[in-house]
Amino acid sequence: MSTSVPHGHAHGSSSQQADDPVARALAAAHGILPDQGPIGVFIHHNTLHAFQHLPFHEGVQAGAAALGAKPYLNLREFRAALSAGRVAASDVRVEIDRELGARGSEPVLAHLTRAELWQLLTITEADSDDAAALAYLIQEGVAPVGEDPALWDACLTRTSHGPRLVPPDTRSLQRHRDVLAALGLPDTDIAVHGELIRLASGFLDQGQAQVTAPYREQGFLNAVAQTYGVGAAPPRACRGVDDAMRTVAATHESARSVIDRMLALLGVTGAAIEPFLVATALALPGWSGMFARLERHPEEHPSGTPVSLEDFLAVRLLFEWHAVQQQCAQAGLPHEWAALQSRTPLPPARPALLDARLLWEIARAAQLTAADVRALSPEALGALWHECSTCSGMERRQLFQEAYERAYRTVILDAMASRRALPAETPSAERPRGQFVFCIDEREESIRRALEEQHPGYITYGTAGFFGVAIDYMGLDDHTPAAHCPVVVTPAHEVHERPVYTALGTHALRARARERWLGWERRAAVASRTLTGGAGLSFLLGPLSGLKTLARVAAPRSSLEWGQRLVSRLAPVPATRVSAFRVSDSARMDVGEKPVGFSLDESIDRVTAVLTNLGLVRDFAPIVVFLGHGSTSLNNPHESAHDCGACGGRRGGANARVFADMANRPDVRDGVRQRGITIPADTWFIGALHDTANDSVRYYDLETLPTALADAFQEVYGALELARRDDAQERCRRFDDAPLSISAEGALRHVEARSSHLAQPRPEYGHCTNAICIVGRRTLTRGLHLDRRAFLVSYDPTIDQDDKVLERILAAVGPVGAGISLEYYFSSVDNETFGCGTKLPHNVTGLIGVMNGHQSDLRTGLPRQMVEIHEPMRLLLIVDATPEALLTVAGRQAEVAELVVKQWIQLVSVHPETGAMQLFQDGGFVPYEPQPMLLPVVERSPEWHMQSRGHLAPALVRRALPFAAVGPGHHQPA
Amino acid sequence: MSSTMLMVRWGLALAILAPLCSVVLVGARVLLRRAPVREGWVMRVVNSGLMASIAAVVAVTAGFLGIGGDAVRGDIEFGDWLRIGDFRIPAVLLVDRISVTIALFAAVLTALVARFSRTYLHKEPGFTRFFTLIGVFATGTQLVALAGALELFFAGWELIGISSAFFIGFFHERDEPVRSSVRAFATYRFSDAGLLIATVATFELLGSARFSAMSGAAALPMVQSTAIALLFLLSAMGKSAQLPFSGWLPRAMEGPTPSSALFYGAVSIHAGLFLLLRVWPMLETSVIARTMSVVVGLSTALYAAAVVRVHTDAKGALAHATLAQVGLILAEIGMGWTTLALAHLVCHALLRLGQYLKAPNMIHDSHRLGHVHRHPTWLDRLSPSLSARVYAASLHRLRLDDFIDRLLAPLMGFARLLDRADRSWRRVCSADAPQVPGTDASSTSSAS
Repeated sequence: MSTSVPHGHAHGSSSQQADDPVARALAAAHGILPDQGPIGVFIHHNTLHAFQHLPFHEGVQAGAAALGAKPYLNLREFRAALSAGRVAASDVRVEIDRELGARGSEPVLAHLTRAELWQLLTITEADSDDAAALAYLIQEGVAPVGEDPALWDACLTRTSHGPRLVPPDTRSLQRHRDVLAALGLPDTDIAVHGELIRLASGFLDQGQAQVTAPYREQGFLNAVAQTYGVGAAPPRACRGVDDAMRTVAATHESARSVIDRMLALLGVTGAAIEPFLVATALALPGWSGMFARLERHPEEHPSGTPVSLEDFLAVRLLFEWHAVQQQCAQAGLPHEWAALQSRTPLPPARPALLDARLLWEIARAAQLTAADVRALSPEALGALWHECSTCSGMERRQLFQEAYERAYRTVILDAMASRRALPAETPSAERPRGQFVFCIDEREESIRRALEEQHPGYITYGTAGFFGVAIDYMGLDDHTPAAHCPVVVTPAHEVHERPVYTALGTHALRARARERWLGWERRAAVASRTLTGGAGLSFLLGPLSGLKTLARVAAPRSSLEWGQRLVSRLAPVPATRVSAFRVSDSARMDVGEKPVGFSLDESIDRVTAVLTNLGLVRDFAPIVVFLGHGSTSLNNPHESAHDCGACGGRRGGANARVFADMANRPDVRDGVRQRGITIPADTWFIGALHDTANDSVRYYDLETLPTALADAFQEVYGALELARRDDAQERCRRFDDAPLSISAEGALRHVEARSSHLAQPRPEYGHCTNAICIVGRRTLTRGLHLDRRAFLVSYDPTIDQDDKVLERILAAVGPVGAGISLEYYFSSVDNETFGCGTKLPHNVTGLIGVMNGHQSDLRTGLPRQMVEIHEPMRLLLIVDATPEALLTVAGRQAEVAELVVKQWIQLVSVHPETGAMQLFQDGGFVPYEPQPMLLPVVERSPEWHMQSRGHLAPALVRRALPFAAVGPGHHQPA
Repeated sequence: MSSTMLMVRWGLALAILAPLCSVVLVGARVLLRRAPVREGWVMRVVNSGLMASIAAVVAVTAGFLGIGGDAVRGDIEFGDWLRIGDFRIPAVLLVDRISVTIALFAAVLTALVARFSRTYLHKEPGFTRFFTLIGVFATGTQLVALAGALELFFAGWELIGISSAFFIGFFHERDEPVRSSVRAFATYRFSDAGLLIATVATFELLGSARFSAMSGAAALPMVQSTAIALLFLLSAMGKSAQLPFSGWLPRAMEGPTPSSALFYGAVSIHAGLFLLLRVWPMLETSVIARTMSVVVGLSTALYAAAVVRVHTDAKGALAHATLAQVGLILAEIGMGWTTLALAHLVCHALLRLGQYLKAPNMIHDSHRLGHVHRHPTWLDRLSPSLSARVYAASLHRLRLDDFIDRLLAPLMGFARLLDRADRSWRRVCSADAPQVPGTDASSTSSAS
């Protein structure tokens, strides 16, 4: 980490920071700690965003080292992918050659080039680290070395004297506790963390406990110190901490002064301060990270309590000092850092057996005889070992990662090139039958394909799922408005859902009944935990609750349905409208309040921009459906992670509804026409919500549909009904507990049951398996089966004069797509450190996150059940634009440029006219020559995907191909 | 033998043996065949065991109620469990109001949780282990519920204890579950000694450890019956996490959610209370033991109710809310209100089971219900500093764990001494034995 310091967040002025190690450490910790807010709103982001200014490999390795995590899959996992055929040995070789350049062909032994040695080290088990297993295999006589006993003898004798391979010391001993643990003493963190977790969860609680932590308005340090001040008992492992706390409370000592004092007591001085403090902050990353996050985003912490990382560290060090002091005194060790550090035990030596095995494998590859091996000079052997350590374990995994990505990229680019080679589509005179605008989300790829398979006249589009309307939205039953837009945008407008005039009466009744019911429920939830309330409610509700639990577990889908039907019978939901339109600007507004609804000009701007982005500027169908998306599941603290990222981790239905409302207004259409887009009078926009968990589609404001268009809508509705069943079926092939032979209708019932099951840890797979993002016209991909792995963004380069549209799209899609793909990348390469492990022991705490079991660190990132079938790769961004256009955009958008130049995403340009492909690599575009391939052809998608559960290569779906290609005579051989 | 009697006998045997058979079957399959066990198969085997157990208990209930013949009640003999000379331990089961209620209740809840877990644990590496343990637990609860004498009861009691400890340590790749599991196990071992000694004493003094012979306790001298009753109480306190043994309960939340629900919301946590209901005639004779029950129960209830107020995590709060009611029920038993206690126990278990299973829904619920407004309590207004003190004490759970650790410190020291002695003795014994192959430099260095 010495050369690669992460970007710290602004924390005090930089000049002050330069000579203050504590401030530097705090700033660095702010950067590295998990940047995940309270879990109610889950935003996908690059887990190692603080290292994004470094090239990808350098960044992930530095970040992983800082957090004690794995930056890539294990070699064992990569080699499994190799033997499964997911990546070929030749892919690895290409990457080795690219890495070594001319040095690759230099010989390291007579018959062995450097590249060959690296290949041997990377793809085979030659250099294993499991001596016990090797010893066992040799003893059993089944080790490969038995193939050439003479050579093995020579290797054993040769390695017994002479230079040895010395692996780098990978232990990270940065705090007192690490050295104590290395010495085999009890872990001081157990007591310190137990204390911190309880105190911090009480302090940060957003409403789960019945009482608030005392004094919390004074900040963490003061609150803890004061609580001890009135007489709390210290933990047994930190005796004396209560007196220290009392002193802090009495003298109103600042957090900074406490930190300085504790550092002095622990004997940490000078250059040791910064790494020590950073490691201290990273010792309980979830909780420290939450303090850091809430310090930067106080709006996420409604109580208004001052939260700071500095406070947390001060409290931590107070406990830590007492625990360390006690432990060191008991063990007779010094507690000054430098003195304690000098007691660090040596790392265990690498067993000689492993060196011999490696030498044996190399000798075989280099055609050395036993005599040659015995005759190896110390210099030659030393040089060989040096070569092996240059191609370190990390280097091998890096090469494998590149090869793993190359293998997939090749398949996709070749498939796209083959798709392009099909006869071009001739413009049809026929009017499209229906147009469907989805979010760019890769989960919508399947339902889009299912629609296109039904008729060539069904056209689908993809755009960021907030549909250009950034709003603070308050639904009928919401208590406060919430932002429905990408997180980087702050909405300037509010939109409310309100009952229609004729339903005001029923609404008032329902609202009253609902408020009363919720009040009861709230009270019962609290009361059932008290002494008397618990007893009373046991008798009152116990048997009923038992029956309800039985019904919910035995018949999840129907019991939920009956319950909902009963509620809607008792208190029917009134018909509503959204206040999308602002009647006049003169409406009274208080300072700081946002206008409710959009003015005419604002509406025209948004409708024009979205339609232009989509390339939907002519040939409108009678019905255009905009589908936002969201996800419904129960017992799922990570529910929000399945919702729409473009809507800030919320559901996109409201945005679709508002957009349709605007686009249907005649005055808005007039304005849009003046800007060059003519929407015919017999076209109607409909907003809808697609639930990606139970595959339901909910339509809004159908009451306002012109009667003349009823038939047209009925047809579109029928198409979506079929499509959502196909979608459910395609999703089911990934679920081991649904049979592969499941019918489309059965699949729909299956996913409905999943989404209503209390015990279901996988209501859906979310963004899992995402790999590609294709920005361009749908003709590039229509008819290709992309296995729900591609974000599909509509963009028409032919109507984009000065690359303004491209810039707008890439500025939004690049960071969002990279965020999602990198979050999945990290959570799947190291699920325990970057992700939050298995969901099963998760325990919701303070309404801000989950812990494992009764007390643990706050677990951030994605759970194992969400990433278990993911292939960790960088996003493959394929854009229907010239390299020049892309470079222009990169010049204007620094964040996109950083992602591309530092290789956090893979960028491919597909020339809009020629189709030539260029890959951005090592600082510039290099041409990619696709290998011609025959794509497998199926009539409909299920024939392709209902065969297996694994990842699928692209195939051509004949029914989904547009007009020209489906004609007779263009059949592609299978 | 009447047909009802035959039905009840078969029912009793099957209720206990069906889940046990499924455990044996799954265990044998895992041990004897290399190929990995399929989830569906494990589930089918264990589920059949649980379903057969429910059907059997229903048959017993029918016999108890006298449906289709004369009602069958009282001890049902199954010969001897153990016979050494004249000394014999009978295998006797008991059919009465309490045993039938609890057996039916436990069998249904276990099957319900098994159904829940089939989905919840899908694809989890410990799937087979989980369901095997569910089978062990089901066997244990049926033994405890239906036992007619303390010996069989004790066997069931231990099966519940061991499955509980294994569930807490289910995620054994991490340290914390293992530490918590050991703590729960140690508490059980300590308090189970009470049950064991009481069983032997009852056998010695009354000539039989049958529950039906318990009524003879009235004839015992006061000191003896009080001592035995207190030993039963000690055992119940450990199993039901009463003060001062409450420390292991929040730690027991390390296991997967459904097992937490089944053990610490519904069945296992109430087992101590059930024991006291069973040996009620013994407890009844001792005013001291009954007073102790009331004192321990009420103080646990107050302690847990205070802790629950400050708890910020869903499962920990539920654990203490449960504990408060368990304390209350213990006090009810001490007062002699056994019917109320039994009803309270069943209703409470049903309420908590649902709450545990829905614990991960906390965030969803809080969005729906809106913010709970918190008002200062009378204590906050009266004395903020006292309120803060109560807060801290509740947050730290009175440092009960530290207290127990300190009590145990000398014992642990003694155990370490014995361990060291044992190791050096082994070294002396094996000094001239040849080196075990494979323990060369390479493996020792990796072990250190």
